[in-house]
Amino acid sequence: MAKPVTEAQTASPERSSLTGVPAPTVTHEDVDRARDRNRVSLARTQKGSLANLRLLWLLVGPGILVMLGENDGPSMLSYAATGARYGIGFFIPFIILTFLMALVVQEMTVRLGAVTHRGHAELIFDRFGPFWGRFSMIDLMIGNFLTLITEFIAIRAGLGFFGIPAWAAVLSTLVVLYVALMTHRYWTWERITLAAAMCNLIFVPAALLAHPKWGSIGHALVYWSPLPGGVNKDMILILLADIGATVTPWMLFFQQSATADKGLTARDIRFGLTDTFLGALLAATAAVATVIATAPLFLHHVSAANLEAGQFAEALEPFIGHWGAALFALGIFEAGMVACITISTSSAYAFGEVSRTPHSLNLPMSQGKAFYAVLLLEAAAASGLVLIPGLPLVSVVLVVNVIAVLAMPPALIFLYMLVNDREIMGDLTSPRWANALATIVVLLLVAAGILYGVSVIAPNLFARVGGN
Amino acid sequence: MAEGNRASTTETDANRVGTESSEWVMQSLEEGQLSSARAKHYPRRQLKRSETLLFWGLRIYLLFMLGVVVYQVWTRTQ
Repeated sequence: MAKPVTEAQTASPERSSLTGVPAPTVTHEDVDRARDRNRVSLARTQKGSLANLRLLWLLVGPGILVMLGENDGPSMLSYAATGARYGIGFFIPFIILTFLMALVVQEMTVRLGAVTHRGHAELIFDRFGPFWGRFSMIDLMIGNFLTLITEFIAIRAGLGFFGIPAWAAVLSTLVVLYVALMTHRYWTWERITLAAAMCNLIFVPAALLAHPKWGSIGHALVYWSPLPGGVNKDMILILLADIGATVTPWMLFFQQSATADKGLTARDIRFGLTDTFLGALLAATAAVATVIATAPLFLHHVSAANLEAGQFAEALEPFIGHWGAALFALGIFEAGMVACITISTSSAYAFGEVSRTPHSLNLPMSQGKAFYAVLLLEAAAASGLVLIPGLPLVSVVLVVNVIAVLAMPPALIFLYMLVNDREIMGDLTSPRWANALATIVVLLLVAAGILYGVSVIAPNLFARVGGN
Repeated sequence: MAEGNRASTTETDANRVGTESSEWVMQSLEEGQLSSARAKHYPRRQLKRSETLLFWGLRIYLLFMLGVVVYQVWTRTQ
């Protein structure tokens, strides 16, 4: 790999006793990362399946977190709206396809982070310059802030089902966020957030309580049908919202920065892919389970057009029982809470990378004031907005997902060019098959965006081609 | 590594750790993984004309589509 470094290395006064040359400054952040890497090195020296499992345990994290983090409040509400409006049919295989798209894209971020040890925003600024870098940051920051608002909408609605007031729901999430950060250790933060993220699978028992017909699910997976109502404006909106529920710009920034912060190297890329695959599998399971859980609303012709997040759980109660509805509400809360942690972290990473201030979850508070301040203030600002009465919450949720899809093609082009940039990647550029798949993903996203644009500007066109 | 190996900070440089830890850390990490490596920048890439056009094309696409979103929100509220 080339070393295209233009500035002199930062040197401390000490000299290495091994080489006699000035040694670089070593910080506590480096010490923490070195401890993690030593555990990985130790696990690599051991043989057997248990040792392999231990190695996997040590190296998983960013991939599962990014995938389950993206199963966030608006995503779960999009899946809920999908099940309630379209039942079990076209959208189940379609959602699985969107996770395959996410897998293709996220693999590239692992590769970039592990090889360059740099965050995504940093590389965009370095390689493409501040002009394009600022565009990229504006997209990310606006998207993240809007999404964070929707996370708190989900948190408020989820806990609202249990009679918890909005202010208490919002405050409890901010406390969890603060506690996870106060460990000042990437590894501990990652494990706490992973434990919380695994609760996303709470939608699976909720789906089982809906007593789904497994034959219908099998039929949908094979034939991608039925699609009640055909192709129309509302269907296109749900289609885009479901894509936006799986692939969004913050995921690119988060996983690459987390990969670098965790200290993964080129040797770990295979495990990074396994990590991302596991994440996609878990997240797709939870997403499909949500569609199945809300399908009874479609079967019993319950109008879901204007259901708020908490009302979904209430509407489901006659069909999946009180416990099922409670699990559903708890899942919505969990989805919002985990995403609140991961999305605000992605913003803080990007801010630190661009402003060249220290940015790592291994930093003590005194050394990472700007990093932690951005993270906490962004979450606090978003949480404050959802306490405003009368905000059109459902519209905000759907619009946020649509914007995420529209912002993806420009973000993906940066990623594609970086991961194929031999000057920074050396021989570890993305393989051809991954490039071909990524190109298909970009084309699909642009096509979906154009389809959405046509459905808004000329909705009658769909009626002429056979839809409603 | 024992907690004691995390060297104590000094008043003048709270961020730096002791020499003994430094050597251990540098043996454990790749050079680019050190926080000090962030002071280094990758050089700017010279964009081809086709790449610049692609960037602008996607930027215009995004701005246009955001206009469509605003239009849809506006029509729904009417």
